[in-house]
Amino acid sequence: MARPAVRIQVVQFGVLVGLALLVGRAAQVQILHGRRWAEEAQAQRTERIVLQARRGALYDRHGTPLAVTQETYHVGIAPNELRDPAADGALISRRLGLTVRTWQQALRRRYAYFAGPYSALEVQPLRSVRGVHLESVLNRFYPDPAVARATIGRLGDEGLGASGLERTLDSLLAGRSGAAVVLKDRAGREYESPARVIAPPVPGLDVVLTLDAELQEIAQRALDDALRRMDADGGDVVMLDPGTGEVLALASRQRDGSARPSAFTDTFEPGSLAKIFAAAALLSLRRVSPTDHVSGEGGKWRVLGRTITDEDPQPSLTLADAIRVSSNIAIAKFAARLTPLEQYATLRDFGFGAFTGIEFPAEATGRLRPPSEWTRPSAASLAMGYELSVTPIQVAMAYGALANDGLLLQPTLIREIRGAGGGVRYRHRPEPVRRVVSRDVAVALRNLLRGVVERGTGIEAALTNFPVAAKTGTARRVVNGRYAAGEYTASFAALFPADQPQLVLVVKIDNPHKGSYFAAQTAAPVTRSMLEQALAARTVALDRARLSTAAPRAAAAPADDEGGLVPYVVPWPYQPDSAGVGPRRAVPDVAGLGMREAVRTLHRRGFRVALRGWGVAEHTWPAAGDSAAAGSMVTLFADPHAADRVGSRGAAPPRRGPRR
Amino acid sequence: MAKGRHWVALWLVAFLVTTWLVYARQTAAIRAARELADLRARRANLDGHRADLERRIRAAESRAVLVPRAQARLGLHLPSDSEIVLVPAPSGSR
Repeated sequence: MARPAVRIQVVQFGVLVGLALLVGRAAQVQILHGRRWAEEAQAQRTERIVLQARRGALYDRHGTPLAVTQETYHVGIAPNELRDPAADGALISRRLGLTVRTWQQALRRRYAYFAGPYSALEVQPLRSVRGVHLESVLNRFYPDPAVARATIGRLGDEGLGASGLERTLDSLLAGRSGAAVVLKDRAGREYESPARVIAPPVPGLDVVLTLDAELQEIAQRALDDALRRMDADGGDVVMLDPGTGEVLALASRQRDGSARPSAFTDTFEPGSLAKIFAAAALLSLRRVSPTDHVSGEGGKWRVLGRTITDEDPQPSLTLADAIRVSSNIAIAKFAARLTPLEQYATLRDFGFGAFTGIEFPAEATGRLRPPSEWTRPSAASLAMGYELSVTPIQVAMAYGALANDGLLLQPTLIREIRGAGGGVRYRHRPEPVRRVVSRDVAVALRNLLRGVVERGTGIEAALTNFPVAAKTGTARRVVNGRYAAGEYTASFAALFPADQPQLVLVVKIDNPHKGSYFAAQTAAPVTRSMLEQALAARTVALDRARLSTAAPRAAAAPADDEGGLVPYVVPWPYQPDSAGVGPRRAVPDVAGLGMREAVRTLHRRGFRVALRGWGVAEHTWPAAGDSAAAGSMVTLFADPHAADRVGSRGAAPPRRGPRR
Repeated sequence: MAKGRHWVALWLVAFLVTTWLVYARQTAAIRAARELADLRARRANLDGHRADLERRIRAAESRAVLVPRAQARLGLHLPSDSEIVLVPAPSGSR
């Protein structure tokens, strides 16, 4: 038995060794591996979460929302946390639209997850139910899903633009996600404490499209009615403002009810729609005078081993007659005065065989073969609109050049881009591509087109009080590289009104089965119906001030007067010289005013007014302080309770778009 | 000896006060977080409600709904262009 002093020394030594080991281990944990353990602890206690950025909204030209982002929810249910499974289950099933069987299955699981997404309205009563866990996600919402669906496009599963403008504008609309750190308990559940934001999300930009929601609806309904009535395979309608190149409406529909963007992607042979471009070359190069006649050959003419026929045989025709009655024989004879290169260059100048440059992810160029690839009958075929394939948007832009005094513009679907605060980042200005014909030739061509509606094949599109210039086109359809027997494409291109046109309309009907297949009886009446509806609509982007005054009818310019293709310098930035747009002026601040006074104030400033809502003026679109062309439409948003929010009349209203 | 006890008491009080301050601050933060979450939920609910109303208004205002009803109930029709009169604004109206 050792002495007590020795035992004490042994114990002391043991304690010292123990302490040394403890200090050593502590040093190892804290100093040597300290960083790793700290990171592990951090990872267990915190979680880095992504803060979704709000995707920018899409509006029509008057501020009507077409695509907005909204908070929706995924719903998780923890059955063991429910206080009253029977009562809670009934409520949850009702709100989420679950069947009894689905709910019973959910109850058997430890945690049931319903992806939905469910709207805030649907989940609101579930917020107070214990055991229900809501996960908010931002989702795209289309207030009227049928409006311009193919043009606007949709998002893919990843939340990125998958088609249409959602895809083209994805980088602008998407914004930038943020990040935050939240605290978790050891079970991995989030603490109810505010997240520490590392990087705030940056919302996407809002885009104001050139589309006019009301015109779009008119176009879609007219096209649907026409396809149903004619039992047609499909069709397209394009409406645009020739002075700016802004596309106002785009409707496409196929027989199966789908609405792929065929106005951009599907080509067709324009047939007689292209005759006006042969006339443009003839007038520009002075190869024909107004008094020149050619024989109608009794309606049947054999040339280069091919027989050309006319539906409405005439003994003798001028160029105006050839366009008016859509004579294949006459236009083929006149076109023989052009060299292949001249004919090709004119069609190319009008934009055929090339992209229009519109902001759409898919666009076809069509086909325009160079003269080196032509056969002997190609010149006559091209004059009649065959051996040439085009898209409806190309036809609309080419006719737009005629309406715009010979200047071809680039089409656009984007009118403005706005920041989250409402500030304008970009505003579209007309972008000229080239001068195609001189102003006088354009006026002469419009007069030829006017004759089509007044006394020719387009008479079904005639309006009583407003002159219309237009051209019909009926062409055989190409199916699998061959002309299909008994299948036709009926098309119609119109300028409204004929003098200083404000609207270009192109209507295409694919293979109508019921009734006539001629454009004069199919596409022309559809055009008239759309024009009448547009005239009767309140907010459609037509300048009624210009329509209401008796516009002096453009004198028929002699075809051989100052024609010819001449170099032309376009001022940049381009301002249309057709006096289509008035001077720009600031939109007055009318927030807080009564409706009547607000409308008067806007009228006094020279704006037209479209009303949204009632009560007290809340804000306008464009916003107060922005500049807008005199005579343009200002949308006035009113709200019965706006006065409370706007406060005193002197306070400047926030710059923002329409209510979302 | 008594002086030492005072110091101990003082430190104890300081500790308790600090602890209470931390507790109160945490409690207030959690309450604020709850209120914030409630407000967010209310805003989301109101946004959803507004979006739903806007959708219904858009649907009710659409030509697909209005035109047939105007024709059936009021005997109205879409005017032809000859029935549309655009009155020129007097020159001094702007």
